[in-house]
Amino acid sequence: MSLEITVHEQSCRGCELCIDICPTKVFALDEEKRLCTVVHGEDCIACLSCSYICPSGAISHRDFHLVKNFYRDEEFCKKMEKFL
Amino acid sequence: METTRNQRLALQDAMVFLGAIASGTEQAIGESASSISYLAGVNLGKKLSLGVPRTGDIEEALAATREVLKKNDYLWLFEPFKTHDQEAVVLEAEEGAQVMLVFRDCMIRQSLFRFGHSQKGSLCNMMYGFFAGALQNIMGRESSLEIIHAGENACYKKLVVKNA
Repeated sequence: MSLEITVHEQSCRGCELCIDICPTKVFALDEEKRLCTVVHGEDCIACLSCSYICPSGAISHRDFHLVKNFYRDEEFCKKMEKFL
Repeated sequence: METTRNQRLALQDAMVFLGAIASGTEQAIGESASSISYLAGVNLGKKLSLGVPRTGDIEEALAATREVLKKNDYLWLFEPFKTHDQEAVVLEAEEGAQVMLVFRDCMIRQSLFRFGHSQKGSLCNMMYGFFAGALQNIMGRESSLEIIHAGENACYKKLVVKNA
């Protein structure tokens, strides 16, 4: 799985919230365009905080591991039997 | 089908209960709630890692810890992570050896989100305790697990295994 992260230029307003929240410094501000850009996509851990915080929904991820909603997962519910 | 449905309902009840206890304890006794959860985690880590062969190698110890969690069906799997500018996964710092860890599937995060509790609270400290207990058994060394970032889909933490 090779994660891809994209900032859609037409949606980005350059508010820098993604730059502030990213723990691995994936983004930087393109001073000329006044837009946030991906500079180290390989460092993205897919926490998705940037996607959630972006006011214009400009950030999208592809090919990443989405966490299991384990309370909906039948296999996991079966495994939990010993704890309940 | 009915059994699975009942198990699922029981699991949801257990999650509500767990979240409510953590949130209530934090409100009632403040920061001590984190210490209590930490100690519960230490006990769990020590108990589950009993019999795991000792090693002085951090990466081996982490693999063994991961195996312990997996074997016990704990949804707390993690992976060591290094950024593009980091020379190695394990970095030697003044306080000890440092490894960044990414936690993806996490039953605590799921419980907190499901019922609207905030992250980085006492339940997250249970994970810190778990690592401290497990690494004490496996490596014979003290450790700390600092939450650098608690995200919606993954958390980023710094593990420091203190110098002996």
